[in-house]
Amino acid sequence: MTVVTPAMRSRRRRAQRPAWEEPPTIAGRIGKGVLLTAVVLAVLIPMWSVIVTSFSSQKAIADAGGMVFLPRDFDISAYVLIFTRGEVSQAVWNSMFVTVVGTTLSVLCTVLAAYGLSRPGSLWHRPLLMFFLITFLIGPGLVPTYVVVTSLGLKDSHWALILPAAVNAFNLMVVRQFFMGIPAELLDSARIDGAGEWTILTRIVLPLSKAVVAVVGLFYAVGYWNIYFNAVLYLNDADDRVVQQVLQAYIIAGQSPAGIGSPPALGFNAPPSLAVKMAVVVVVLIPVVAVYPFIQRHFTKGVITGALKG
Amino acid sequence: MDNPLAGAAANRRSFLSLLGLGAIAVAGSGTLVACGEKAADEGTTQQLDKLQAVLPKYQPLELVQPDIKGVSPVANGFTKYPSSLVDAITEKPGRGSTITTMTPYWGQVPAGPGQNAYLDAINAELGAVVTPGIQDGNTYADKLNAILPARDIPDVLCIPGWEISKIPNFSEAAKALFEDLTDHLAGDKVKPYQMLASLPTVAWSNAVWNERLMAVPWPTDGPYPWALFYRKDLVDAAGVAIPKTAQELYDFGKKMTNPGKGVWAFNDVQAMVEMIFRVPNSKDGWGSKNGKVQFKYETDEFKAALEFMAKLYKDGLIHPEVVASKGADAKLLFSGGKIAMIQDGVGAWLGMQAEQQKVTAGFNMQPVPFFAADGGAPLVWGSPDPVFYTFVKKGLGKEKTEEILRILNFVASPLGTKEFELIEYGVEGKHFTKGADGWPAGTDLQGKEKADQFRFIAGTAPTIKYDARVPNYVTDLINWENAAVKHLEVDPWLGMKLEMPAEYVKVKQPTEDKVKDIARGRRPLSDLDVVLKEWRDGGGEVGRAHLAKALSDAGR
Repeated sequence: MTVVTPAMRSRRRRAQRPAWEEPPTIAGRIGKGVLLTAVVLAVLIPMWSVIVTSFSSQKAIADAGGMVFLPRDFDISAYVLIFTRGEVSQAVWNSMFVTVVGTTLSVLCTVLAAYGLSRPGSLWHRPLLMFFLITFLIGPGLVPTYVVVTSLGLKDSHWALILPAAVNAFNLMVVRQFFMGIPAELLDSARIDGAGEWTILTRIVLPLSKAVVAVVGLFYAVGYWNIYFNAVLYLNDADDRVVQQVLQAYIIAGQSPAGIGSPPALGFNAPPSLAVKMAVVVVVLIPVVAVYPFIQRHFTKGVITGALKG
Repeated sequence: MDNPLAGAAANRRSFLSLLGLGAIAVAGSGTLVACGEKAADEGTTQQLDKLQAVLPKYQPLELVQPDIKGVSPVANGFTKYPSSLVDAITEKPGRGSTITTMTPYWGQVPAGPGQNAYLDAINAELGAVVTPGIQDGNTYADKLNAILPARDIPDVLCIPGWEISKIPNFSEAAKALFEDLTDHLAGDKVKPYQMLASLPTVAWSNAVWNERLMAVPWPTDGPYPWALFYRKDLVDAAGVAIPKTAQELYDFGKKMTNPGKGVWAFNDVQAMVEMIFRVPNSKDGWGSKNGKVQFKYETDEFKAALEFMAKLYKDGLIHPEVVASKGADAKLLFSGGKIAMIQDGVGAWLGMQAEQQKVTAGFNMQPVPFFAADGGAPLVWGSPDPVFYTFVKKGLGKEKTEEILRILNFVASPLGTKEFELIEYGVEGKHFTKGADGWPAGTDLQGKEKADQFRFIAGTAPTIKYDARVPNYVTDLINWENAAVKHLEVDPWLGMKLEMPAEYVKVKQPTEDKVKDIARGRRPLSDLDVVLKEWRDGGGEVGRAHLAKALSDAGR
């Protein structure tokens, strides 16, 4: 008779477990630590440099030959300049409007459409689904979109940034898949209790779908906050400009188009210092950095859910 | 609001051709254009000497005598501000209309009328409400690609020359979208617009499309696209002489590069090296040798220049940040003393010197006099082409078009007039104060409110003005420019306005990228032949045939 020793039992258990469930070896843990530290540093060092440069004097920047890594002095004149000029604060408000109103509208439309499309047999279910899916394959193109937006009188309005992309087909499909994963029995029992579709959506489906709604909301919000190209196309008034436009203007200011004949007379204003450019970068980053930690929990869950089921 | 498609249905062909205009620029595809007019797709050539009849009659207007004479085509220099200004336009040019404009700008966009004292003061003088639409200069082409095919253009549209050359079929767009100004300005008809009549004829001759005068040009005040600048303070301190031959340029690089101190000799100096090796550059890289039309890549001079550039890269004489990244800020590295010599547009000089001397004591950037690889007479690239063109929207009616032209005329008033002072500097006491030297010095309000909203819709007769921040600038610049005039490359196609075939335009950028790979050592030098073959097959031959035909048609 074979005697089973604890060592043999442990070996057998190991053989039955997949490799990733094994407790990591020392080398593995060190390797993981080094890798994660490298990733964190790759993110933090540029951010650190941006912040330090934004608080540096022009002399410190010239001596460093560009971005500053080691703080040599502390100078807030860049921030004083951008906030006294006013366009950065105006642009932050504009972007906040676009982001808050746009995200609310987009999430609302996406949830309603996804709920309808997640119920087989709803009115024009198939044609409507095709209608959304087809936008994956065929983009509307720059000129037709521009013509539609201007014909609707949306030019020079922030709605031009919100309405044309209010519903994103990808986000819609993610939410729809999530809704379809909710057991039909649950919804049927609610119906037996006399609940209508609106009650089912608001009282049962949405409370179960907080994670996916949060992640889709974050996708929309980041998209609206970063909107640039459409703003270039549709907004002409200085007061309407959004943060990314102002950021771009600060970054490129003073860069005369290379190789043209007569720039001396073009009268390019003195370019803002690198500190001013970096201060604008910091201001633009703050809202995203401030909001992200609160949504991060849902974000991971929502993305994983979407990835498995979508 | 106006339907941007109004009228489009009536002319499907030109609409499709305009769509193609956007599509080609974005996707590099010629398919859609095939539906439109054929001529522009194959390129166009206008013999400008035959177009004299459509050009305005030149009437020079010298209100102030220049302090330093520029040798044509170099502009005159002014070091003293005129003691008394002429009120050149006494009648208000506007009739109370609202006029929308679109101009590029490389910086912050100020507020519009009603919240901007600079705009309001000028609008009050003009008797009109000019509403500027200022766009980011770096993404101007994207905006044009949307608004031109959609026919959603402002009353006055400024398009930089370098953007026009990227748009195939531009003459089609011009015909469909912009007012033909010939009947307003040709010959003696320009008389009521005295300031516009003082713009150089060579500038006007470039504003002709489809053999009609379509735009008001913004004349260049310096023909040279590129210069090599060096940090005189650092180079003198190191006891290194500035180069006069290619070998000396290489030696300069070797002596100035010191990675231990974080200093390298150059940024990407490709264009200047090509010039030093006498590579032809007429019509963006073409030349004619012994009656044969050649593109620069096909010449021995280019091969030698490329070899030299590859050596600069290989031997580590170019700043590693410039090598590693397209977005490296060479200007910043140069001003911080990390690069000793920089290739840049001439326009970089004044701004950088003025700003950096405040930060670095003794900062002194100077242009290197032009030289040739073998030390002989240099070949200097240059072009008298205007910087911008101002177009008037088609269909505004005779009255409004004339009102706009009167406004452009007002804006084009030269140095020595009250109008010039208002447009250039704003209101005295608010936007500028006059310094001890008599020249207006801008206030903070000027920096906040002025973004060349008016200056970019009409240029003046070319002048180079004194700048108190760099008192020697006018003298240094004009002396340097004058010395190079006699070496300016002779353009075999001088006097012709060419619109290159779409197929050729399409192959240009990809080929330039491949050549850049060779210079940077990512592909061997021997690959130039392969690249050349791909360029010839991809549209280069079409370009050559177009240029050769233009020469033979002109009997040259």
